[in-house]
Amino acid sequence: MKNKLFEKPKKAGDVPLLVCVAGMAVFGCVMIYSASSYVGRVQYGDEFYFVNKQIIGAVIGLVAMAAMAFIPYKKLIPLKIPLAALSLVLLVLVFVPGVGVTNYGATRWIGFGSFTIQPSEIAKYAFVLFAAAHFSKHYGASRTIKGVAPVLILGIAMCVLIIIEPNMSITMCVGLLMLAMVFSSGTNIKTFAFMLVPCIIAVPVLIALEPYRLQRLSAFIDPWASPRDEGYQLIQSLYALGNGGWFGVGLFNSTQKYRFLPFAESDFILSVMGEELGFVGLVVFFAVCLFIIWRGIAIARRCRDPFGFLLAAGITLVYGIQVIVNAFVVSGSIPPTGLPLPLVSSGNTSLIITMASMGVLYNVSANN
Amino acid sequence: MSVILAITFIFCIIIARFFYIQVIWGDELVLRATDQWNREIPVVASRGCIYDRNGQLLAGNLTTYSVFARPNSVADKSYAAGVLSGIFGVDEGSLYEKLTKGNVSEITVARQADGALIEKLIACDIPGIYYSKDNTRVYSYGEALCQVLGFTSSDGLGLSGLEKIYDSVLGGTNGQIMYTTDIVGNETENTNIVYRSATDGDSIRLTIDIEIQLAAEQSMREVYQSSGAKSVSCIVLDPSNFDVLAMVNYPSYDLNDVPRDDMQTLNALSRNSIVCDIYEPGSTFKVLTAAADLQEYLNGNAAAFSPSHVFNGSRTRSVDGTTIKCWSDHANGKHSNQTLAQALNNSCNPCFTDIALALGKQTFYDYLTAFGLGNVTGIDFAGEALGMLVPQSLVRDCDLARIGFGQTVAVTGLQLACAVASAVNGGNYYVPRLLKSVVSSDGSVTEENVPILKNKTISEDASAMLCRMLEGVVKEGSGKHAYIEGYRVAGKTGTAQKYENGAVASGKYVSSFVGFFPADDPQYLALVIVDEPQGAYYGSTVAAPVAKNIFEDIIAIKNIKPFE
Repeated sequence: MKNKLFEKPKKAGDVPLLVCVAGMAVFGCVMIYSASSYVGRVQYGDEFYFVNKQIIGAVIGLVAMAAMAFIPYKKLIPLKIPLAALSLVLLVLVFVPGVGVTNYGATRWIGFGSFTIQPSEIAKYAFVLFAAAHFSKHYGASRTIKGVAPVLILGIAMCVLIIIEPNMSITMCVGLLMLAMVFSSGTNIKTFAFMLVPCIIAVPVLIALEPYRLQRLSAFIDPWASPRDEGYQLIQSLYALGNGGWFGVGLFNSTQKYRFLPFAESDFILSVMGEELGFVGLVVFFAVCLFIIWRGIAIARRCRDPFGFLLAAGITLVYGIQVIVNAFVVSGSIPPTGLPLPLVSSGNTSLIITMASMGVLYNVSANN
Repeated sequence: MSVILAITFIFCIIIARFFYIQVIWGDELVLRATDQWNREIPVVASRGCIYDRNGQLLAGNLTTYSVFARPNSVADKSYAAGVLSGIFGVDEGSLYEKLTKGNVSEITVARQADGALIEKLIACDIPGIYYSKDNTRVYSYGEALCQVLGFTSSDGLGLSGLEKIYDSVLGGTNGQIMYTTDIVGNETENTNIVYRSATDGDSIRLTIDIEIQLAAEQSMREVYQSSGAKSVSCIVLDPSNFDVLAMVNYPSYDLNDVPRDDMQTLNALSRNSIVCDIYEPGSTFKVLTAAADLQEYLNGNAAAFSPSHVFNGSRTRSVDGTTIKCWSDHANGKHSNQTLAQALNNSCNPCFTDIALALGKQTFYDYLTAFGLGNVTGIDFAGEALGMLVPQSLVRDCDLARIGFGQTVAVTGLQLACAVASAVNGGNYYVPRLLKSVVSSDGSVTEENVPILKNKTISEDASAMLCRMLEGVVKEGSGKHAYIEGYRVAGKTGTAQKYENGAVASGKYVSSFVGFFPADDPQYLALVIVDEPQGAYYGSTVAAPVAKNIFEDIIAIKNIKPFE
């Protein structure tokens, strides 16, 4: 019995969480169909081109979520090093010619035929697992620089590999995650400051290294200064949101999806939602997001096991950070970066792994 | 709990931001976005037609179509190129190239294509190919009246002549079809089509009588060829109201085939010389001097010569130390014992010098001003010349003496015709006009251009006396080549030497004749100007016969019975 992979949890876990996650995935498919049917038909001759892929991802994601819900989360501890190593290998593979896939000037994917995965999506969770396992095993490690070092090394290695893809937003996501995991594990001010200061310095340095980041920064301040270049995407996002108004133009009735808004089905799906469902629709959507985050935090707090606590907190953080950053980007509140809206944006790697992580979260809730 | 609060707070900020964008800023954003969501196809308004005074069509429209392709929407480009080249005769290879290059959102496949071709196009039903109606201007008579009518651009904008002056009347207002498209201009499936209809332009009816115009064109063409002149012009007026019945400048060009590529030629050929260019009139001007004298005589001015006064028979007059000679040598009793009527018959220069000097600067200039010299007539045509009249304050007696017989003064053909018409119609100077009325597209007259009496020139009595004298010129004087048995033609010839660089240019003359009939109630007045005829150059032999031809044609066209 001890070595059985799947185990019925001790009690029923947080079922509303799973319902919300599954609902989100289904809702994502509907929105992706709406946002991409025209582009799919014009560019690929198939209006279901994007949504079909997403449905496959959602089905796999559901299976993964169910599987993870029945795997005792503690069995993940031994995976901390293999998974971290696998992530690093995949991140390096991105740069191997013939395996790496370049789109829109960034090499972020590895591809096998028509199937592509985005290693940075996996890396985020591998990092969470590693940090949670490390800090729970070496209790109090987070108070010393030496004890934090393994987590920092892995985090920085991942950040470096992701930043040279380049993918600024996921780098920052991992960076934030790194700080948050150390913080959650009960660090002291001295150690935290030791980490925080270089991170704060890194931001202007990274901007200075790649001038296009500065252009994006200026575009976010006044998108109409360069309406055809840097400001274009943000302007189109604002047009979509503005067109939505209070109650939206109705499902499937978006005007901006007629190829005005780039990445309407992925990073900017929130714009299409805002256009079709209106401000009221978005408020409901954000309420559900907040509900998921709230459930995640509650699960972490109730968990008496340090590993479970850190794992649940990390998973919730990954989800929460992405939702918040994506909403800020779409509304032009921070400079645009390519970050998906978790569970909704098209992109199978993100969808499957997010759903799987939610399964883990459920398992944590059920075993405590 | 504090974590939950912090996250809730962040979500509140997000929601506030979205509220601002979607609810407060929304309307302005939609306004800004409207441009990129919509495309327009113009609905071209029909340009109004131009008719002559009797309703004959002078300028009309042929309904044609423009054909466009939006390369992004053309699925099978080689098929489309093949079909389009088959229908419209465009080069298949270059069309295919344009369709595949893909850097333009719209290309023009054909312009001014016939409706039958469009029906073929519709039958083929090629996606991405559009057509819209446009109008091709068609002029019923090609060359006739070309400088007056003018022409339009290929977009139907009046560029010259009446087409330009009355462009706002003829042009109408274009409408448009607006529909929503995707980013490259493909119609979207749930497109909202907004249609704004075009308002067609009004038509105009001219004072021109196309039959008289064509007759005058024919006569002018003949004299242009037979005389070898540089150019010829003619105007036919109705003296009773100054309606322009015909206006000819030759050489001309075909309005249906405007030489747009050769701007210099086009500028020269499209100039309405008789309105826009000036010349020294010579003896035709004597009509005005005679009119002034007769009126002053009737007014009891002792300085004026009575109709029975016999002028000094000498060939020369000496004024301000300069000698003025008659064109005739006065030998063997020529130009002796002349009254005013005989002076007109003989076109004897010294007699008119005597009149001008006798009336004096003040009185003579009053008449010249009344006859509209040195001023525009006010005809509804652009670019009318002022003419040249020495300012009264600067005029010397030697100038005045020459003005009396039509030298040291320059006029437009229109100016002289109007001045003479006012002298023979009972003394009424009207504003000459080309537009008779504006007719809306439903055929009702919306605006009648009524004759405007500008001023009186001489009295009816003086006018009647002048007419009898000018009838004599045609009957027994220098104008006899214009005589038509029974129709009481009256008129005056003119032969002026041309000046070049301040000196008389040898062998270069302007021969002219101004005539009208019937003498007792003038209905048709014609001025014929032949510029630089080769060989014979007297107005009496070159221009008078042309006026006679025109009058004979008018008599035939209008079926006018002899008056005596």
